Amino acid sequence: MQISTKFAIAAAIAAGLSSHSAMAQQTVTLMAYSGLFQERYTKAVVEPFMKANPGIKIEYFPMPNSAQMLGNLRAQKAAPQADVAIMDVSVSKAATDEKLLVKIDEKTSPNVADLFSAARIADVDGVAVTFDNLVMIYNSDIVKEAPTSWLDLADKKYAGKVAIPGMPDIQGLSLVLILEKARGGFNHLRSVDKGIAAMGEIAPNVQTWEPKPEVYPVIISGQAVIGAGWNARAQVNADSSNGKLKAVLPQEGSVFQINTINHVAGGPGKEATAKFIDYALSPEAQKAFTESMFYAPTNAKALISEAAIARTAVKSMDKVIPVDWIALAKVREPIMDQWRRKVIPLSR
Amino acid sequence: MTDRITAPAAGQAGEGFLSLKGLTKSYGGFAAVDNLDLEVPKGELVAFLGPSGCGKTTSLRMIAGLVPATSGRIVVGGQDLTEVPTHRRDMGLVFQSYALFPHMSVARNVAFGLEMRKVGKDEIAQRVKEAIALVHLSGKEEHRPSQLSGGQQQRVALARALVVRPSILLLDEPLSNLDAKLRDEMRNEIRDIQKRLGITAIFVTHDQVEALTMCDKVVVMNQGRLEQVGTPVDLYETPKTAFVAGFVGRSNRLKATARDGVAEFAGESFAAQAGLSGPVEIMVRPHRVVLSAAGADATAGDHRVSGIVARTIFAGDILQYDVDVAGQIVSVELATRGGETVLQPGAAVTLSWRRQDVFVYGTAA
Amino acid sequence: MSAAAAIAPPAPVSEARRSGLALVVLLIAPIALINALGFLVPVLNLARMSFYEVEPTGAMREVYTLATWLTVFKDTFYAELILNSITVSLGITLLTLVCSYPIALYLHRSSGTWRTILLVLVISPLLTSAVVRTYGWIAILSDSGLVNNALSAIGIAPLRLMFNKTGVVIGLTEILMPYMILALLAGFGRLDPRIEEAASTLGAPPFTIFRRIILPLTLPGIALGCLLCFVLAVSSFITPKLLGGGRVFLLATEIYDQAIVTLNWPLAATLSILVLVIFGGALVLYTRALRAIM
Repeated sequence: MQISTKFAIAAAIAAGLSSHSAMAQQTVTLMAYSGLFQERYTKAVVEPFMKANPGIKIEYFPMPNSAQMLGNLRAQKAAPQADVAIMDVSVSKAATDEKLLVKIDEKTSPNVADLFSAARIADVDGVAVTFDNLVMIYNSDIVKEAPTSWLDLADKKYAGKVAIPGMPDIQGLSLVLILEKARGGFNHLRSVDKGIAAMGEIAPNVQTWEPKPEVYPVIISGQAVIGAGWNARAQVNADSSNGKLKAVLPQEGSVFQINTINHVAGGPGKEATAKFIDYALSPEAQKAFTESMFYAPTNAKALISEAAIARTAVKSMDKVIPVDWIALAKVREPIMDQWRRKVIPLSR
Repeated sequence: MTDRITAPAAGQAGEGFLSLKGLTKSYGGFAAVDNLDLEVPKGELVAFLGPSGCGKTTSLRMIAGLVPATSGRIVVGGQDLTEVPTHRRDMGLVFQSYALFPHMSVARNVAFGLEMRKVGKDEIAQRVKEAIALVHLSGKEEHRPSQLSGGQQQRVALARALVVRPSILLLDEPLSNLDAKLRDEMRNEIRDIQKRLGITAIFVTHDQVEALTMCDKVVVMNQGRLEQVGTPVDLYETPKTAFVAGFVGRSNRLKATARDGVAEFAGESFAAQAGLSGPVEIMVRPHRVVLSAAGADATAGDHRVSGIVARTIFAGDILQYDVDVAGQIVSVELATRGGETVLQPGAAVTLSWRRQDVFVYGTAA
Repeated sequence: MSAAAAIAPPAPVSEARRSGLALVVLLIAPIALINALGFLVPVLNLARMSFYEVEPTGAMREVYTLATWLTVFKDTFYAELILNSITVSLGITLLTLVCSYPIALYLHRSSGTWRTILLVLVISPLLTSAVVRTYGWIAILSDSGLVNNALSAIGIAPLRLMFNKTGVVIGLTEILMPYMILALLAGFGRLDPRIEEAASTLGAPPFTIFRRIILPLTLPGIALGCLLCFVLAVSSFITPKLLGGGRVFLLATEIYDQAIVTLNWPLAATLSILVLVIFGGALVLYTRALRAIM
């Protein structure tokens, strides 16, 4: 009785204190991808951060793609509602050029010092928070022998069974870059003729250039049996399909896709925003998210389990073809033009 | 114009140009038209008269082929048309709603039937011109139907039906949508044109005045059955059924009881059908009743009853008394001549009428 | 009203007329306002954006330039795109008309509960989103779908029914049919069974009645339905995206790609304005056609 009374008083005081701290609580709005990314990122990064920082609340504002995030940032330029945006590096560049972001560096976030050099992109205010890479994916129920080369996609036995998210999606563009290198091209910023020609060999096999809703379920369902996709989602889908979907990193290699984390200029979150960004770049957050969704970490000090690291491109860095996405943006239009005129007509 | 109709030689004697033999239309168990037999001689204008739902329009639509007959035959000029589709029946139909083609001019409307018959261009132009003149619409050839009045539209419909020189002209309540004055005018016009062309025509109407004034013969229909066929005079003077007596012209209908062919009402005896017993209706037309002051010597009339004036209605050319006779009202109509005394309610009167003006019908089902 | 006007001195009459006008303005004002805010302002914004400068990364500068418009006019790809959009949409419109007309005619002639049931059946697809219905078509048209399974059962080689123009045409036709049927029904007002019967009694066989009477009388409905479906076909992008397999290039899908994937908003805006111009052209044609019909 006495004990419980004491406890009640203590609880009341605690409640009073916590309600006091709730008034001082800061909210940081995080704008990032919806769906699987939201689910995994919330569990691996957002929730642990909030636990460690009871005074800060993270609102996850889901968006289907980077372009819509940019659209939102443009629309709210005068009074931004978001504090942090996780989006593709080329969109981050556009946002930087439109002065929508605040520069992230060692001064605002100590963890930046530990990032891989590839994670710090010139003339972009944000820094890389995840690396992903293009992989070849296939339905292992139907394709018994694991393919080893991207050019296996041109094999006649896959006629009408190939699904590739085509240009303007960067997966299609990435494949062109990989094939250009495989065919002996040395500077994809100057010419991708060889890559386009190789794509033209694959094109007749292609069932769809717009696998919807994503390429993974299309291959799991057997509607298509082989194709290209991003590693992280392929790994998660491989698990959820009980191994029906398999992903391989073909011998010709791959390219990285970079998601950056960005500090929105003039957002309401203030110093809590910087705190969250620093956490997102920390070894522990990087480790947790890589082990949850198999994006390669951007922090060199992240100590990731062997099982998880084996499912990223980290151990095959020699196979990763360096791409300067910012420089590439300048030649994207002519590549798109070649795609339309030299690849699509061959796939009819 | 009738010389153009290539009617085969008329069938055996006694048959009309149009014969309906046992024509029946049933919907489920309900007979809209029940076993209709009719002979229409060539060149006659025949009215189908009856209340709405009596089957007159259904009969007309069966003749036109717009409604398939359940059983029975339709024969025109010796040719059985029962199974012939509408567009090969060669009949002209004028609708109550005119049914003009709204997207065509008057001339194009009238020319339509001729175009269907592959008549030459020049002849079409000539005949359309004649038909439009016939209905007094010359000068309106290029008007659209929507630019014409109701009466004018009905004339176009008439011209459109007549220009093809149909074997039979069918008119489905053609005057119902017109106002009273136009109706009188069109009535005469239709009759004149029909007589002039000598065309066989069926005229469906629920208006007894139209039927009596326009037509050679009247077919009275009720609940799908034919009640009586005859000239207007026949129907008026010798109605065969209580329905005809009630529907054609106005009648007093007095309830009474008959025993062994004699009906009793207000102390008078009326001859009924031989041997008839049970409830009957005694009918007498209001203007055939002679009214005299009670006690006065009522010379005219075979039957005489006494009553009290219950109501006096003065309608200008007609003076109507509703007289209470043995608890039932007998209406009496007198043509006013001027100067007569108008009896007031409460006055005792004697009513009399001739034997031939009385009809007695059994009403037992 | 006219009697009152005859008695009253002239001044109050014009006042009455003025207050009538005021009422009309008042009644129109809400929709005018909504249209202005919800349509005119965004369109003007689009028009302005089409002149903005854009960098290869997608960064937009509020500096006015004709560059985007010049690209669209010089690059034959866009001419092909426009031509393709118009021809594909016209084809879809025509097919939708052919498929919908008999249904609309039957509906027009039916009555009572049966008509209500049929009408609900016609409208019910509109209660489902176009996305769901398109996935339905994927299940039907895919290589192992309903149609190809049936074909292979009778020994016919599978047909490529989707991820190409055929799929887009089939899917959009079905999706647009309810709109076409409703538009046709709305335009069938002048059709009257008595008129058809009149033609029949005058010697017209059924097909002639259709050609000379029914078809001309239903032209206003046909014009309305075609306008509506053409506009919807040109502007739809979900179905072409899902069923086109990335092979069918239409204005609407290109606008989507430029706005969402490539981030070239000025180009997306320019193409959107061109779509509006096409709609304007369709509207002019519709009014002309209507004047010729009536």
